[in-house]
Amino acid sequence: MRLVIAEDNVLLREGLQLLLTTVGHEVVAVAGSGPEVVPTLLEHRPDAAILDVRLPPGFRDEGLRAAIQARKVLPGLPILVLSQYVEETYAAELLAEGAAGIGYLLKDRVARVSEFQEALERVAAGGTALDPEVVSQLLTRRDPLDSLTPREREVLGLMAQGLDNGTIAATLVITERSVSKHVGNIFGKLGLPPDEAGDRRVRAVLAYLEAGD
Amino acid sequence: MKIRALFARSLRSTWYLFAGLRTALPALLGVCLLPLALLLAFGVPGLPWVAGRIRVLTNIERRRAAKVLGYPIREPSTPVAADPYRQYFALMRSASVWRDIAWMIVHGFLGLLIGVLSVEVWIGIPWDLALPFWWWTVRPGTLGAGAQIYTWPEAIAYPLLMTVFLTALQLWGQPQLARFQGWYARRLLGPTRRTELAARVESLTETRAQALEAHGAELRRIERDLHDGTQAQLVSAALRLGLADQRFDADPGGARELMLDARSGIEHALTELRTVIRGIHPPILSDRGLAGAVRALAAGRPVPVTVDMPEPDRRCPAAVEAAAYFVVAEALTNVAKHSGAAHAWVSLRHDGPYLTVRIRDDGTGGADPNLGSGLAGIRRRVAALDGVTRIDSRTDGTGTNVEVELPCGL
Repeated sequence: MRLVIAEDNVLLREGLQLLLTTVGHEVVAVAGSGPEVVPTLLEHRPDAAILDVRLPPGFRDEGLRAAIQARKVLPGLPILVLSQYVEETYAAELLAEGAAGIGYLLKDRVARVSEFQEALERVAAGGTALDPEVVSQLLTRRDPLDSLTPREREVLGLMAQGLDNGTIAATLVITERSVSKHVGNIFGKLGLPPDEAGDRRVRAVLAYLEAGD
Repeated sequence: MKIRALFARSLRSTWYLFAGLRTALPALLGVCLLPLALLLAFGVPGLPWVAGRIRVLTNIERRRAAKVLGYPIREPSTPVAADPYRQYFALMRSASVWRDIAWMIVHGFLGLLIGVLSVEVWIGIPWDLALPFWWWTVRPGTLGAGAQIYTWPEAIAYPLLMTVFLTALQLWGQPQLARFQGWYARRLLGPTRRTELAARVESLTETRAQALEAHGAELRRIERDLHDGTQAQLVSAALRLGLADQRFDADPGGARELMLDARSGIEHALTELRTVIRGIHPPILSDRGLAGAVRALAAGRPVPVTVDMPEPDRRCPAAVEAAAYFVVAEALTNVAKHSGAAHAWVSLRHDGPYLTVRIRDDGTGGADPNLGSGLAGIRRRVAALDGVTRIDSRTDGTGTNVEVELPCGL
């Protein structure tokens, strides 16, 4: 994959480059500040972009703003946003225009190389990767979730992270058939349309969780 | 109707002045004993005792004056020193002690005079009105204050005139006198601007010392979190990596195990570090400012939260905003965990030099800052910035109201 990354911290940038090239991707350009992101993306037209939330010049949420802007300028460009901390609000902003090709992960996740690689590939393929911490923030919020069994809650959490049934089955060490059964039950209990799949499913789940009361 | 109100006011004033005897008589006694008291006061242990007695008396008057002033007179602070000698000289120099004595002298004489006269004049009215009935039983010319009565017309006219005059005098004069008494009490017993400032400086010094203490405690807590948590985790991870290095050739499987352990250790450390950072200064606060951060907080709650917060025209120091954020986060966590509330309200206001944060819910109340660590944490954090915390959590269905006032720089 041809990638553009935006990361101002040299240590992290080099680490990320090392990691990405090791697993066989190519970093075609690096943006060092928020305002550089979109022009760099326009110039190089990568397969996906990996952006840090906090970037110069303000060291606030420039990366996040750049991601939202990039989505408008380059619709369909897969973007993976990395951050030292995750905020549910930021996830909501990122996903406002659709969950396809969006990832939002803690930087810590790069330590689990294969999982990180999977998440990146999922995003590049138009899927979603939402950090488990965001998902757990979302899951603490609604009472109707009490109607779910613990296993169903687990499955819901993994769905919200953007995983497909196969990966969920592998993660929980159960068969794919029982995963689909759980999914059916969850959708039934929460009153969600049962035929959603892929990114639309993630959206449905997230929309439900974000709706609050 | 108006006349009745005038009478009521006048009688109230008379009663006030008459009740002034309660302080005037002891004051007069105090004046009589003053030479003795001063003699006694030259002895080092005597002065605090004398000043203390006088203060008891003046405090009664301070409270009593509320009836005419509408508010009790604030007691000026008495200097407090560690050892008796310093205390002695501090008292000697203290203006409030001498002003107490001055009031005692003034009130001892004036209070007694006014108190007795104001009642006596009222008594004089029926006395005058009764004159026509018995003036003729005594020798002509022996009666009447200011006028001697010889004839019947005099005996009829004089009491009537006197009654009108005295009544008018009392209606007008009694409230004036009462006010006068309140005035000299306030002038002599109230804190002067200087002592008021001194008292304020004193209380500021004290709260500042407390704030520094609380701030120090916060720093120690953070240090402990980093030291016992993050740092220990990292040391342990480094150790495992070192061992993995040693074992790498002989036992690659074991080395791998150690490396994976080290990785999860580091992940733990990062999670803890995030918690510590959130405790010091939540990153979203830098990103979005207080308003944005609090909105984000309110958005992710199981209980619906209404946020009332005008776009701030100015920002507070980072520490203050962090504390305000912390207060809202802690209070909302309590709402979700304990209150059973259906709704919560958060409001942030800039009131002059203060940032006022209020979190209210419609839950069961009964939150006790001494029980829950959350409310204690709020107190601690707010105290570190010299702020004030008010927690009102009655169980009568009014819910819990947490109000925090933080000084916002300036």
